[in-house]
Amino acid sequence: MILRVRFHGRGGQGAKTASRILGSAAFGGGYNAQDFPIYGAERRGAPVAAFTRFSDSEITERGFIFSPDVVAVMDDSLVADPLANPFAGLRKGGLAIVNTTRPAAEANGGRDDVTVITLDLTKRALETLGKAVLSAGIAAAVARSAGIDAEAFVGGLVDELKEVGLSDDVVSKNVALAGAVYDELKPVELRTEELPAKAELVPLAAVVSGDGSEDIVNVGNSASRHTGNWRVTEPVIDYQKCTDCMICYAYCPESAMSVGADGRIAIDYDNCKGCMICQAECPLRAIGSIMEDRR
Amino acid sequence: MKPELMTGNRAAASAARLARVDYVPAYPITPQTEIIETIASWVREGTMDSKFVQLESEHSMMTAAGAASLAGARVFTATSSQGLLYAMEMLYNVSGWRAPMVLMNVSRALAAPIVLEPDHNDVLAARDSGFLQLHSETCQEVADLVLLAYRVAEDRRVMLPAIVNLDGFYLSFTREKVVLPGQAEVDRFLLPYDPPRPIRATAPVAKGSAVMEGYLYSYFRYNLHAAALRAKEAFGEAAGEYQELFGRAYGPVDGYRLEDADYVLVMSNSFTTLGRQAVNRMREQGVKAGLLKLRMVRPFPGEEVAALLKGRKVAAVFDQNISPGMGGIFYPEVAASLYHLRGRPEALLPVVGGLGGKQLTSDEMCQVFERMRAVGKGTAKPDPMFLMREEELSKAKKALATAGVQG
Ligand code: SF4
Ligand code: SF4
Repeated sequence: MILRVRFHGRGGQGAKTASRILGSAAFGGGYNAQDFPIYGAERRGAPVAAFTRFSDSEITERGFIFSPDVVAVMDDSLVADPLANPFAGLRKGGLAIVNTTRPAAEANGGRDDVTVITLDLTKRALETLGKAVLSAGIAAAVARSAGIDAEAFVGGLVDELKEVGLSDDVVSKNVALAGAVYDELKPVELRTEELPAKAELVPLAAVVSGDGSEDIVNVGNSASRHTGNWRVTEPVIDYQKCTDCMICYAYCPESAMSVGADGRIAIDYDNCKGCMICQAECPLRAIGSIMEDRR
Repeated sequence: MKPELMTGNRAAASAARLARVDYVPAYPITPQTEIIETIASWVREGTMDSKFVQLESEHSMMTAAGAASLAGARVFTATSSQGLLYAMEMLYNVSGWRAPMVLMNVSRALAAPIVLEPDHNDVLAARDSGFLQLHSETCQEVADLVLLAYRVAEDRRVMLPAIVNLDGFYLSFTREKVVLPGQAEVDRFLLPYDPPRPIRATAPVAKGSAVMEGYLYSYFRYNLHAAALRAKEAFGEAAGEYQELFGRAYGPVDGYRLEDADYVLVMSNSFTTLGRQAVNRMREQGVKAGLLKLRMVRPFPGEEVAALLKGRKVAAVFDQNISPGMGGIFYPEVAASLYHLRGRPEALLPVVGGLGGKQLTSDEMCQVFERMRAVGKGTAKPDPMFLMREEELSKAKKALATAGVQG
């Protein structure tokens, strides 16, 4: 038996830590395990992926998991994100665990041949930890569904959270959160079947262009990449309190603040990444925050 | 033009002047310094119309060179040995930027231990950098290859930087006859550099961007490889025109007395002259000896090597470099070129010699041919030869004893 789990999250949500918690838990539970993250130079909020494999025999795979048995989707906005594409290659009969407030039928990525479990992990994290860090919750959901025993899971969880330097207090809050998720779910009997996939290799001649230089001629094209969907919390200006002092404008690291035609400060939600620096800097506390809801 | 006596360094500087280079970022290192000193003095006295800047290191020098090339300047620079290694990070960038500048490398063996004389570990450390590489045997070749390098590098099919290599001392400081091409003909051969998308404030273009994904990186790397391969075709055309204008013929490889040769020595750079001498001596003794010189090193002329070695009894690859734990660097490249060849030589003898400029006698080179013959007759195995003469070893032992080195 081998189980391949692919985590999809946004930078800062704890996808890498979740993959390590699961790896350590499985390893502690007597399995062979392997985990690894993949990310670019992007920052908080950008789509990231992490992988855990565990098996009762030697693991002869490595790297990106193209055909997962389980996908763990840590942000609702990723379900339909073409770059993250979390359901891609999920085996028939596989399991998707999605952090969302939507019902399973709406968050299944169009796949009716897989089991989908939905949980509102963000809410739980905000209530228990005070911030939307989901590693413990999502790892608990996967570990329980995969039938990893409670003792091994908590062992892996505590080891990994200490490894990232969390205080005992924060670790125990995470253990409580994870325990609640773990107790709520039941092991899922998985009988998965790999989707057929044939790699069509192209010859070098198809790759070679007459030029093939790295020149980017359509400069300024970063404007077409909207980073607003990296946001977990959304700043909202209370115009009753705001005096248009423009302090937030000066501090916004993304230049996502502008002055509208009416002369009032406005937020460009296509590019605001939800760092909430504006909220911290506003002298009149005129910026509030709401949880992002992308439905 | 009238033949002149000049060093390889002066030939390089002269060719840069003939190429009407716009910009020369520089940093001194023995045995290269004469090149940039010569250029600096010409620029100062007004006989060369280029901007000359001394940077604070070879790394900055290469960065400035690549950037200026992208801006549309024809760029020339020079380094050697440790300097090339210090610039190494930027070599990979400049080729990735597709900036067709020309870099002279004056070969000098790498430390440690320290020596100033040549071998080719420095330039071959840049073997995989994406720079084209042309290696010269004579001071004449130095001048001619610089001009050819610009033509090929700036060819729209190629757009890659190039290294022209010359050996320290044996070319750099050696004066011999050079016929410099005339400026008017060079101007016909080498039109002003006109890149497709130079960086201009009025026409922004981004170069060498972070792609962050393996498939995009692969796309660009495969294209860089394809462009390097196209350099062979571009070189062939340019060399044809060069021959018409100046009467000197250059191919990617050079054959010497190969007509009926059974035993062929493959080598490169200035010591090739010693190889030719050995061929002549062997011929005098009735041995069918010949020589194959590698002039173009990147792209590697594998097909030409195979064509010229087909049907020979035994070949030897003389490597003036060493990859510790492997042997010579050219040996596996030549072997790979022959692998699928029907009628390949029955043996390929690896020879390492001339490290740190270790001198080679004519007899020493002849013994390489003797070994090839013995291998051909089946009386010796093609075990690698590491050239060292007895008197050299005893001199070394004396020095080591004086130094208290336990031998
Ligand atoms: S800092 Fe606060 S008061 Fe000032 S413009 Fe921004 S939201 Fe308005
Ligand atoms: S949260 Fe505020 S400071 Fe941060 S990107 Fe959005 S508008 Fe700018």
